[in-house]
Amino acid sequence: MAAETTQDNLLLDVKDLKKYFPIRSGLLRRVTGAVKAVDGVSFFIRDGETLGLVGESGCGKTTTGRTILRLLDPTGGTIRFKDPKLGWVDIDKMSREEMKAVRPNMQIIFQDPFSSLDPRMTVERIVSEPLVINKVASGQELKDRVADLLRRVGMRPEYMSRYPHAFSGGQRQRIGIARALALNPKLIVCDEPVSALDVSIQAQVLNLLEDLQEELKLTYLFIAHDLSVVEHISDRVAVMYVGHIVEMADTEALYYSPKHPYTEALMAAVPKPDPRRRERPIKLPGEVASPANPPSGCYFHPRCRYAKEICSKVMPELQEIEPDHFVACHFARELKLRGVVV
Amino acid sequence: MTAEEKMTTTTTQTAEETAARAVDNILTIRKLRTWFFTDLGISRALNGVDLDVPRGKVLGIVGESGCGKSVTSLSILRLVPRPGRIVSGEILLHRRRKAPDGTITEETIDLTKLHPQSPEMRAIRGAEIAMIFQEPMTSLNPCYTIGNQIMEAILLHQDVSKREAWELAGDMLEKVGMPNPRQVLLRYPHELSGGMRQRAMIAMALSCEPSILIADEPTTALDVTTEAQILDLMRDLQADIGMTIIYITHNLGVIAQMCDEVAVMYLGRVVERASVEDLFYNPRHPYTKALLDSIPHVGSRTKRRLASIRGVVPDPYATISGCPFHPRCDAYMPGKCDQLVPAPANVAPNHMVRCYLYSDEGEVENGG
Repeated sequence: MAAETTQDNLLLDVKDLKKYFPIRSGLLRRVTGAVKAVDGVSFFIRDGETLGLVGESGCGKTTTGRTILRLLDPTGGTIRFKDPKLGWVDIDKMSREEMKAVRPNMQIIFQDPFSSLDPRMTVERIVSEPLVINKVASGQELKDRVADLLRRVGMRPEYMSRYPHAFSGGQRQRIGIARALALNPKLIVCDEPVSALDVSIQAQVLNLLEDLQEELKLTYLFIAHDLSVVEHISDRVAVMYVGHIVEMADTEALYYSPKHPYTEALMAAVPKPDPRRRERPIKLPGEVASPANPPSGCYFHPRCRYAKEICSKVMPELQEIEPDHFVACHFARELKLRGVVV
Repeated sequence: MTAEEKMTTTTTQTAEETAARAVDNILTIRKLRTWFFTDLGISRALNGVDLDVPRGKVLGIVGESGCGKSVTSLSILRLVPRPGRIVSGEILLHRRRKAPDGTITEETIDLTKLHPQSPEMRAIRGAEIAMIFQEPMTSLNPCYTIGNQIMEAILLHQDVSKREAWELAGDMLEKVGMPNPRQVLLRYPHELSGGMRQRAMIAMALSCEPSILIADEPTTALDVTTEAQILDLMRDLQADIGMTIIYITHNLGVIAQMCDEVAVMYLGRVVERASVEDLFYNPRHPYTKALLDSIPHVGSRTKRRLASIRGVVPDPYATISGCPFHPRCDAYMPGKCDQLVPAPANVAPNHMVRCYLYSDEGEVENGG
């Protein structure tokens, strides 16, 4: 059974979300297959928390984030969001027009601060655009709002008339954050917000995101591949592998007592910044499966060292094996797996 | 403080000293300045780099973008692109040759004196010093098969027939743990995954058994589980072949796992150099300390606030008087740090740091 909504205080509830991209071939561009980028993903986010979404490249984490915001249209499944004014709304069924009413409450911060800001717009125009489109403010009030937003993300309002090229990566990411904050959103999807930044700048931006969350009671879906960053910022973490969530739990439970073999291997693979703890990683044979041509049964079974016969035949469901600990593995209850060793 | 004095002397060294150092070091870099003469001004990418690379060890170079870590490796290979060039300094390669009768002869070559396109330099590139780059897709030629490209490297430097070179290429792929190595020889780069491409790059780099391998962020573009495989492979190969690796990365986790010694670079200078153990457990330079504090550790459990370094790395055209880190440093001493560049000081055996907290000596810049 997929994650049941017995939880209270939810902000977002995603059930069985699917996003397939067609593969076309031949002269007539007929659809001959599909890349199942997201294939039956269920999760929920509580109001005010940070859910980390981790996985290797191509696992569908970015597609999940974008589909939730309807930047991509889902192939199937439901996305329910609790809008502060409208109450529970079905994001997956709304028209483009109807989405406009919800969009102010759902925003996104992109990975690449170099391509997500229009080089021909000044910082003032970039940050004020959402306010103008939604007719929130104009004239001097607009200018004051922008100045206020820039101060809030730690930038000087005097820089308002400059263009993005005049700023460093960290500062650009701050501009992107100011733009996302402009309409007082509830939920912000952070899609790899610090992976393009230098380590010292990364810390500044992470601290800023944490401060803003506290001040403005924000909820984050934090998508990243860096497991140490995700551990630092998340309350709960979901691990994706080839379009599926394989495990979702409290950060602490997931990192220190993982229940899925893939999570165990991921944890062991992170290079620890400590020369006294040089461990040999768990050998994961082979490569990440292709979402266009996945293996039978559990997608992870060809690389799993615990795989038994059933794993190649039956796809395991995501089950709650402990309160708030969801795992998709046939042997989640039996396996004794090793988490991060401290 | 003899050791300290030795470090602070200018480029002129006695013959004995050079000889003594050459015993352990395969590469000695002294006062290296590589500048880029652009329309916007002079970008001092390397501004006096001193670095000893010990033979048979893994030396890590760590720093943020723009600190000069990649330019250092390009300078060693004499591949600095225009408008950049080596302005001054020396890069001494202490090459060992084994004669047929078993005697080992050693010669020292100053790479800065060689012309980048000279036959000597081209013989060194690939055969003596090889390099693997960050993005394996852009450093492999998409028009040729993997086998062709590895074979080309072998034929350039070794006196073998085409058939033998092809066999050697297959053996190399096997050595780096490539699945189905003989079939991969016939594949094109786009048919391989990121991890396999990086294995192919490593096979190519190692095909001529170089004594130094420069790895410039070889795993940055890879996923964690693939990264772990590649790091594992490089460790095994290093232990096997006993080559020297210069490992360039911004990831302190990788440094801790891979390296024996570490050099921390900031704005074109090495600001601290120590054994990996000392660097992580007893860092001295304020920049190193701040860098270590600013990374989230997996397994730290405590939700401590990350320490961040204020400000940003200054743009390369800016000239900062004194210690280049002083505008961002918490231990900044006005009137001291902003005057002269601190001279290197040995705070412990094999632990060098450039900071006025440890030595009062400043360094008068020459040639600037």
